[in-house]
Amino acid sequence: MQNRSNDFIPAAQVAIHDADLQRAVSFGTNAGYTRRRAAMFAAGEAHGQALRRQAAAIRRNCLNRLPELLAEAEANMTANGIRVLWAIDAEEANRQVVEIARRHDARAVVKSKSMVTEEIGLNHALEAAGCVVLETDLGEYIVQLGGETPSHIVVPIVHKTRESIRDLLIDRLSMPPTDDAEEMARFVRETLRRDFLAADMGVSGGNFIIAETGSLCLVSNEGNARLVTSLPRVHVALVGIEKVVATVEDYATLTQVLPRSATGQAMTVYTHLINGPRRANEPDGPEHVYVILVDNGRSGIYATTYAEALACIRCGACLNGCPVYQVTGGHAYGWVYPGPIGAVVTPLLTGLENASPLPYASTLCGMCKEVCPVDIDLPRMLLDLRADLVAMGRSEAVWTVGMKAWAGGVGSPATYQLGGRMAALAGKVVIGSLPGPLKGWTVYRTPPRFAKKPFRRLWAERQSRREERDEQP
Amino acid sequence: MSSRERILERLRQRERPFPEVAAPAVYRPMVEIADTSPAALRARFIGEAQKAACAVHEVASPEAAIDLILALVGREATLSAWDPAQIPLPGLASALELANVTLVGQDAGARVGLTGVDAALAATGSLVLMSGPGRYRAASLLPTVHIAVVAAGQIMADLESWLAAQKVTAPDLMRRFSNVVVVTGPSRTADIAMQLVMGMHGPRELHVVLLPSVEGP
Amino acid sequence: MGSNGRDSVIDDRPSPRGKRVSLFVTCMVDMLYPETGMAVVDVLEHLGVAVDFPPGQTCCGQPGFNAGYRREAKQVATQFLKAFQDAEVIVAPSGSCAAMVRHEYPRLFADDPLWGDTARRLAAITWELTEFIVEGLGITDLRGRLPAPQTIAFHDACHGLRLLGLGQAGRALVDKLENAAVVEWEPGEICCGFGGLFSVKMADVSGAMLHKKIDAIEQAGADVIVTGDVSCLTHINGGLEKQGKPARVIHIADLLAEGVRHAKPVE
Repeated sequence: MQNRSNDFIPAAQVAIHDADLQRAVSFGTNAGYTRRRAAMFAAGEAHGQALRRQAAAIRRNCLNRLPELLAEAEANMTANGIRVLWAIDAEEANRQVVEIARRHDARAVVKSKSMVTEEIGLNHALEAAGCVVLETDLGEYIVQLGGETPSHIVVPIVHKTRESIRDLLIDRLSMPPTDDAEEMARFVRETLRRDFLAADMGVSGGNFIIAETGSLCLVSNEGNARLVTSLPRVHVALVGIEKVVATVEDYATLTQVLPRSATGQAMTVYTHLINGPRRANEPDGPEHVYVILVDNGRSGIYATTYAEALACIRCGACLNGCPVYQVTGGHAYGWVYPGPIGAVVTPLLTGLENASPLPYASTLCGMCKEVCPVDIDLPRMLLDLRADLVAMGRSEAVWTVGMKAWAGGVGSPATYQLGGRMAALAGKVVIGSLPGPLKGWTVYRTPPRFAKKPFRRLWAERQSRREERDEQP
Repeated sequence: MSSRERILERLRQRERPFPEVAAPAVYRPMVEIADTSPAALRARFIGEAQKAACAVHEVASPEAAIDLILALVGREATLSAWDPAQIPLPGLASALELANVTLVGQDAGARVGLTGVDAALAATGSLVLMSGPGRYRAASLLPTVHIAVVAAGQIMADLESWLAAQKVTAPDLMRRFSNVVVVTGPSRTADIAMQLVMGMHGPRELHVVLLPSVEGP
Repeated sequence: MGSNGRDSVIDDRPSPRGKRVSLFVTCMVDMLYPETGMAVVDVLEHLGVAVDFPPGQTCCGQPGFNAGYRREAKQVATQFLKAFQDAEVIVAPSGSCAAMVRHEYPRLFADDPLWGDTARRLAAITWELTEFIVEGLGITDLRGRLPAPQTIAFHDACHGLRLLGLGQAGRALVDKLENAAVVEWEPGEICCGFGGLFSVKMADVSGAMLHKKIDAIEQAGADVIVTGDVSCLTHINGGLEKQGKPARVIHIADLLAEGVRHAKPVE
C-alpha cells in the first residue's frame, strides 16, 4: 500500500473537521476501550496484569528465538503437507501468490482480513495478473466496495457511520434500502455466499504459527476466514515472520489474550488451527495449502532497539486508547497501520523519511503502553524515533536553530533569568499570537503570561525578610 | 542465496533481543476455574455457552436428543452432517432415514447442519471440532443453523486442558488432522457502527444438544 | 483506576524523612506561576520540612528531549546536575519534570564519565510533590481545611499518572482536606493534548483534544479542577480563556496550600 504518512498534519485537519468521522471514531474507540478493560480484568486487576505479563514474556522470549522457531515451524508445516515459502519483500510475496494462482489455474480469489496483504498491495498484484479478488470480512468488503482503505486494525470501517454504509450498499449493490445493521449483514452474506462457493483460491493472513506442531492459527468472528480456508481448493496464507510462537501453551495464552484486548471477547467465535491440506481420509478442505513467511522489513527491525515493536499481536487496543487517534482516525496516518503502533512501525518499515510526522503525532501520554496486552513501550520508541529524525537532519531548520538557542539560553542560569525577564516585558505589549513556529498555540489558547517577579525573586525576598526578622532582637 | 537464507541470516547475525526474558515458568490459564468436578464443569459450560448465544438443550436420553434434532430439522429434506458414526447418538442414522431426511456432507443449500464435537470447553462455552473421516467442515459452517451433539464426558475445563491432554494422548494430532476449530457461539460481526449482529458468514444459530451425564445430573 | 504503572525505575528509594529538601521549582512555575512555587514551600514547611532553593537551577531539559534534540537536552540537564549536586532530596511540583530526571537522566548520562554518577544519584532522590508527601513522608492528612465546601475533580497529568503511578497520592491528600469532596470523572485520565511541542507542531490535533477536555470539564460540573502539572494547566486554562469560559484549573499545590493556610487548630 502506498504511504502517505508525510501528509499526516493536513490529513488530520480534514479528519478533525469531519463531524461524522469524529462521532463514529469516538464511539468505536470508546466501545473498544471499555470492552477490553472489562474482558482483560474480568477476574480483577491483579489477574489481568498477570495475563499481560505472561503474554509479554511469551512474545519476547519467542522473538529472542525467532530464527530457530521459524526453522522449526517450517520443518513441521512441511511435514504436515503445507508448502512453505519465504518472501523477503512485497514484490517477492506478490510474485509468489500470483505464481501459485497461475499454477493452479485460479482466477476467482476470496480473501479474509490480512494486514500483511494490505502492506504488500496483494490485491493489485492479483488483479494485474487477471484474477478477481473479493474481500470477505464485512468491514474489508465495505472498504473494497468504497474504494477506500481500512482505518483500524480490527474494525476496518470504524470511521464510517451506519448511514454511509447503507448508502454504499444501495449504490453499488442495489441493496433494498434499510437502516438495520442485521439486514445489511444478511444482504452481504447472501451476496458473498455465491462467491465463496465459486472461488478457486482463498487468501488469508495468520494470527500465529505454532512452531512445535507446524500449525497456522487464525481467529475470527464472522466465519469468512473459515470459508476462505476451507472451501476453495487452494489456500494461501501470508504471515509476518514475527508471528511464530514456540508451543501450544504459548498459543493458548495469546489466542485468548488477543480477543480480550481487541474486542472484549474471551474467545473469538472461530479459533482455528490449520495443519495442512485435507488428509487422504478427509471429505473436504483445500487440496493445497501454502504459507508465505513475509519479511518486508521485519528482519531489519529485529536487530535494533526497536525489536519490541515486533511483539505486537495486532489487537488494536493502542488505537482505541490513543487520544490522538480518537481525534484523527486512522486514515491520517497514511498507511496500513494507524495509531501508536502505526506511528512506530510505519517509519521502521517504510523509512523515517516517508513518515517523519508520525513519531511526533503523540503527546507521549503513555496510554498505549498501559493498554498494550504485551506491554510494548511505544512511548519510548516514539522518543527514540524523534531523536533519530533529528540525528538524520530531517528536522525543520527553525526547530534546530530554536533548540540550539533554547539550550544555550536555558543551559546557564544568567541567560535563563534574562530570557525570563525579556519574555515578561514582551508580554506587557499585548500580543495576539506567539511568533514563528509557536503561532499554532494561539489559535486555540491565549498566550501564557510571564510573571513580573519569577519565583526565585519571591524566594529571595522571602529569605531576606526572614533574615531581617532573625536579626531583630 | 535464497530469501530463506537471507532472512535467517539477518535474524542470526547480531545480538538477539530480549535475552533476559525467560518463557513463563508456569502458564496460568486464562480463566481460573476453582471447581473442576464434572458437575461443576457441566454447569459452567452451559452458562458460558448461553452467554455466547448458544441455545443449550439438556436432554434426558439419546432418544430425546434425536427427537429434538428432528424437531430442529423440521421439514428440511436435507441435512448437512457428519457421518452419524462420528456422532455419539445410536439410532441417529435410521431415525433420520425414517424421517426422509437425506444426509449430505457438503450442500450449500442445506439450512441445517449437524455435527458431534471432540470436546466442549467449560471456561468459554466452546466446542472443539476436528476434521477427519466423515467430518465435513461445511456442516458447522455453511448452514444457517448448526446443531452440535455433546456427550457429557466430552466437557473439559478449557482450551489449555484440551491442548495438554492431546499432548499426552495424541502428540501427532496436528499432523493427522488438517483442521481444528474451536467454536464459541454463532457467527457474528460488529463492523457496522459497532452494533452486534448475530449470524454473519457462518451459522446464525448454534444449538448444543447436551447428553445426560452418566453419573447423574 | 487508570494507571497500572508503578514507577519501576527506582524501587527502593532511600527514605527522605528528616532530610533537607532542595526545591526544583521547574522553569514554568518559576516564570509563569511563581505563587504556585511559594505554595509548594508553604505546604512543605507546614510539614516541618527544611526547604532550600539551589539558585543555579533552570530547566530539566524536557522540551528539547521530547523534541528529539538529545544533545541540547543534555546541555540543559547538565546545568540541573550542577545545581543540585549537593542535594539530599529533590522535590518538584511536576510529574513530567520528575519523570524526566528519574527516567531519562540515567539513560542520557549513562556513558558520561563526568556526570553519570551524579545523574544516577539525583534520579534516585527526585520526587514529585504529592508522592513525596504521601509515600516519602507517609503523610496523607495535612490537617488542612478549605474555607468553604468544594467539589474537586482531578485532571491526571499523563506523565505523573502513567510514568510515576501518581494517581492516588494527590487524591489521598485532597480527600483528607476538610470541606473537600473529590468527584470522579472518567475523562480525568485522558490526555489534555498539550504534549510539549506537540501543542504547536500538531496544533490542530492538540486543539481538538483540548476541546474535548474542556467539554468534559464543563460536564463534570466540579467547583475546582486540580492538576499536578502546570504544563497541562497552561494549555487548558489558555483554552478556557480563549473560549470565554469561566472555569479554571489550579495546581494541586495551590489547593493544598489554601487548605494549610486554614489549617485545623492543633488540639
